[in-house]
Amino acid sequence: MIHIEQVNSHITIQDLGRAGVAHLGIPIGGAIDKQALLLANRLMANPDNSAALEFSAGEFSLRFETNTWVALCGGHFDASINNRPLWNGWRGKVNKGETLHVRGPKKGMYGYLAIMGGIACETLLKGKGTDITNQFGGHHGRYLRAGDNLNIEKIECNNFSRPIGAVQRVNDGILRALPGPELPLFSPSSKKAFWHTSWKVSNQSNRMGTRLDGHPLATETDINLRSHGVMPGVVQVPPNGQPIVLMADAQTTGGYPRIACVIAADLWKVAQTRPGQALIFQHITPSQAQSANYEWQQYHYRLARAMDGS
Amino acid sequence: MVPETIIYPLGENALVLDPAPLATINFALQNKLCWIADKSRNLTGVRDAVPGMNNLTVYFDNAEQLKSGEAILRQLWDEAAQHSLPQRNIEIPVVYGGEYGPDINNVASAHQLSVNEVISQHSSAKYQVFFIGFQPGFAYLDGLPASLHTPRLATPRLQVPAGSVGIGGQQTGIYPSQSPGGWQLIGQTHLKLFNPHQPSPSLLQPGDIVTFVPTRSFTS
Repeated sequence: MIHIEQVNSHITIQDLGRAGVAHLGIPIGGAIDKQALLLANRLMANPDNSAALEFSAGEFSLRFETNTWVALCGGHFDASINNRPLWNGWRGKVNKGETLHVRGPKKGMYGYLAIMGGIACETLLKGKGTDITNQFGGHHGRYLRAGDNLNIEKIECNNFSRPIGAVQRVNDGILRALPGPELPLFSPSSKKAFWHTSWKVSNQSNRMGTRLDGHPLATETDINLRSHGVMPGVVQVPPNGQPIVLMADAQTTGGYPRIACVIAADLWKVAQTRPGQALIFQHITPSQAQSANYEWQQYHYRLARAMDGS
Repeated sequence: MVPETIIYPLGENALVLDPAPLATINFALQNKLCWIADKSRNLTGVRDAVPGMNNLTVYFDNAEQLKSGEAILRQLWDEAAQHSLPQRNIEIPVVYGGEYGPDINNVASAHQLSVNEVISQHSSAKYQVFFIGFQPGFAYLDGLPASLHTPRLATPRLQVPAGSVGIGGQQTGIYPSQSPGGWQLIGQTHLKLFNPHQPSPSLLQPGDIVTFVPTRSFTS
């Protein structure tokens, strides 16, 4: 069992999201930085979709009532187990009775903590993740609080021989994106501004969407679109001309023009960019998007090789 | 007349079936799209199919499936001419007015109607569920009589109770969960529109026909 001792951060239980329920208006949800959660699970040799903790700026402490291993990934948080440091991107051993303290981040926005065997959590609507807006999933549909207890899903687990770390990703702020269906309807100056100027992340951003500030975008003529399906990665342009990148908890339908779609391989960069920092869109082709996904597969393959027999 | 179909990609893994827009939204077309959505959701490699307003977005597991997916959607579109989704009739009991419908007097006076006339017009119409979106279980309903079209509130409420029935412009709808909202509230139902613990979590499904039934209290 894991006991939440003290929390001054928004901690939720997340996984890789809910597939197949968007037609009921239910967001995909899951980790906002899915690569980081997946990486943390890989370091634990957990199934990729195991439930882990996602947390934002602040600090918290967990007391472990069992011997186990944990992995810390995502934004750059400082963590220690009793007084031993746990490095970001690494896994470390925790002994029964020890306390893990996490604080940050120095860089990025969201951190992830995977626990060997995964966190025990009911699967609801094809996922275990917490939907804070709609108050279901995860731990009673809410943020974790001091006094909460979590169980480990699968306790009889292999004991690793050593700590291990993963090569860290670099957030270059470049979002590779495919053109959206309504891109041709934007004015030439708006198209130019979209692809060739930088966009500042607004502090109005959350798990539903990242709002961007920059040169206001406008379509050449007023268009009144009928509502359509949308998903994380779609870049919508509402009437104020400031684009919104839809994120994990986005609504399932929308009616604003879709100027572009950020590819899945780069969506983590949006999640991990702080308000005030800049992002740039890079126009790519579908085959370049496939190569980008292939790069991720390579990254995970190299990690699996490095972990062989560990 | 069968409109021409247009299929275009959305991002890496999705296709949008967007029949050349008809001047007015069309329920027969929507029913066809919902039939295609149901069929395609059962295909391997399809993650989900989400109807919008007279369009359909189909999400695939990966980009390799887009090419074959397009052919499949064209085939389903052709087959859809001979099929229609079975329609369910769903009755929603509503307590109109009073504390449950604080804006019903606004709506009545905006149209020089009595409160009873608002209730009888709202509850005698048949509404079609076009699609579910905005919130889990929130149904986009078509069929609000033009005589009840009422602008949204100038200042949205910070909290609208779950089950509230409202009018916003040309639409009527039911708030599935407590949320901020700008619609004129005319009543409330005790039915749960969204329950994540049910195998069928959304009470309403695209293609359903909805009628509102006036009731005196939630216990009757």
